[in-house]
Amino acid sequence: MATVNIQNIQKNYGAVKVIHGIDIDIADGEFVALVGPSGCGKSTLLRMIAGLEEVTGGAIRIGPREVSHLPARDRDIAMVFQNYALYPHMTVADNMGFALKLKKADPAEIRTKVQRAAGILGLEKLLDRYPRQLSGGQRQRVAMGRAIVRDPQVFLFDEPLSNLDAKLRVQMRGEIKTMHQRIGTTTIYVTHDQVEAMTMADKIVVLHDGHIEQIGAPLELYDRPSNLFVAGFIGSPAMNFIDGRIEEGAFRTKKGLILPLPQGVAAAGGRDLVYGVRPEHIRAATHGIEGRATLVEGTGSEIYAKLDARGEEIACLFRERLDVRFGDTVSIDIDPARIHLFDKQTGLRL
Amino acid sequence: MASVSIDNPIDETTERRSKPARLAPNYWPFVMPALLVVSAVIVFPWLFTLWMSVNSWTLGQPRTFIGFANYLRLAQDMRFWESLWHTTTYTVLSVVLPLFFGTLAALVFDAKFPLRGFLRGIFVMPMMATPVAVALVWTMMFHPQLGVLNYLLSLVGIGPQEWIYNQTAVIPSLVLVETWQWTPLVMLIVLGGLAAVPREPYESAEIDGATAWQKFRYLTVPMIAPFLMIAVIIRSIDAIKSFDIIYAMTQGGPGTASETINIYLYNTAFAYYDIGYGSAMAVVFFLIIIALSFVLLMVRARANWSDMEER
Repeated sequence: MATVNIQNIQKNYGAVKVIHGIDIDIADGEFVALVGPSGCGKSTLLRMIAGLEEVTGGAIRIGPREVSHLPARDRDIAMVFQNYALYPHMTVADNMGFALKLKKADPAEIRTKVQRAAGILGLEKLLDRYPRQLSGGQRQRVAMGRAIVRDPQVFLFDEPLSNLDAKLRVQMRGEIKTMHQRIGTTTIYVTHDQVEAMTMADKIVVLHDGHIEQIGAPLELYDRPSNLFVAGFIGSPAMNFIDGRIEEGAFRTKKGLILPLPQGVAAAGGRDLVYGVRPEHIRAATHGIEGRATLVEGTGSEIYAKLDARGEEIACLFRERLDVRFGDTVSIDIDPARIHLFDKQTGLRL
Repeated sequence: MASVSIDNPIDETTERRSKPARLAPNYWPFVMPALLVVSAVIVFPWLFTLWMSVNSWTLGQPRTFIGFANYLRLAQDMRFWESLWHTTTYTVLSVVLPLFFGTLAALVFDAKFPLRGFLRGIFVMPMMATPVAVALVWTMMFHPQLGVLNYLLSLVGIGPQEWIYNQTAVIPSLVLVETWQWTPLVMLIVLGGLAAVPREPYESAEIDGATAWQKFRYLTVPMIAPFLMIAVIIRSIDAIKSFDIIYAMTQGGPGTASETINIYLYNTAFAYYDIGYGSAMAVVFFLIIIALSFVLLMVRARANWSDMEER
């Protein structure tokens, strides 16, 4: 286990800058998720930490050692790839023990370590099989087993669940989290799925266009997103954004809808703002803001609806059973304590 | 509202089952041409060879049934065993050397460098030449006095060699020609294999701590093994039945130093006109090839690793 310090890391491909000087401090044993949309540079950053991509500028430290220009094999890290990257011609046991075999470890020691990792991941009965004889979830477990056997200072995961179906993804998510809690190795996990990041990580780094938008604990990012990008990216379904201004102690949208505000924000009046409210923080009410349902999706446990309130589209997530159908008029109530205000021009939280 | 009813489903099932039986006679007009051709060009020659092999039959003389006498004679024929040894040596060398150089060439041509396509085109040219033309050119090159090879050796201070005119050097010399001509084929097969090898495991291996040599030894070689096996099968069958180059260059000589089973068989059947004995030799040779193919196919199945190969 070790700390990981990333200082002013940059990456250019020719004249194209993809990572613009990033700083991240990762504590010993911490589980950090790098999230962001496709092309934000999260996988490139991870590959630079792994030593699979050259660093253009800045420094990466694993523990006390600077590893920025060391080859991957000298960094004492293990990586789980999106497409598993198993050795197709080796059995599960050989795949897991390969790194130790390269180090010319004693065969008995390799066997013991492979057995121990297989025990952790429930792979004992699959050790003699080849990757082609395994399901997607089993292959992913083997990739994790290969990482565990190495007993590295840092685990790197590059979108490891992207190739799995939804049910298996949830299951494997739990297994990775359990594995981390059991082993306690410092982990850096790249994903574009914010639900994965929210459920697994101790700390989330939100990346966008090669910049860090915000670093924080999952709930911190959810409760107090520092800007419009993070507010829109974290949370599912996504936060509602409504343009308007504060006038006479209330938020008036451009189309004239009045929305409630918490006390003490009147100072933000006189400039263009964005009103943010999460769909799950809107309740159905007997009297309140009225809107016509333009979309209704029920999943049994909740109802997701889009309302047209005086021309403003508001997405709502109702936990209670409501008899709402397309075209119905619904009254809603917004909890002023749960709303977020952002400056329209800078995108920053007020 | 539409209604759906099922009338007498049993009859329908019976009718469906009986259809293939009623149609069966109609298949024959389609199958017969193929059957006739296969029987005429494959089955009949083999049955005829088998029949000839149990007869004593020298062309122009009466034929007599002798049972397995030809096979017993073969077992005691030192010249046959010698030709079998020549065939084995020639085949093994003609497989191993093109395999080694072809793999090496494939690794070179797999890398990116200027004029790669052009040089690859030049490299595969020997494969396109006619074996007899190749044999004539190499016979001239091997000539102890006039050949270019001895001239080239003299430039580096090595004395003249007898090449195909020497009993010890003749098989290695013939293998040299075979290697020159068929290394490109192996190169093309292995190059295809290298293109099909997934790149991701190499990154895994990099992180697992593999050096360049270890990546080649533990990843590249096993992953191109199915393709190497295809090359081995093609080359083995081609080399074991090699006739044209040997016949055009040495006719099995000097003496019988380069006489393979094929050449001995040809001489027996078509120079000495001992058709029965030649046929027995052909049958044994056929069984050897079948056994070799079987072994190679089994080895190839063991070398498989990809999903694609499994299907």
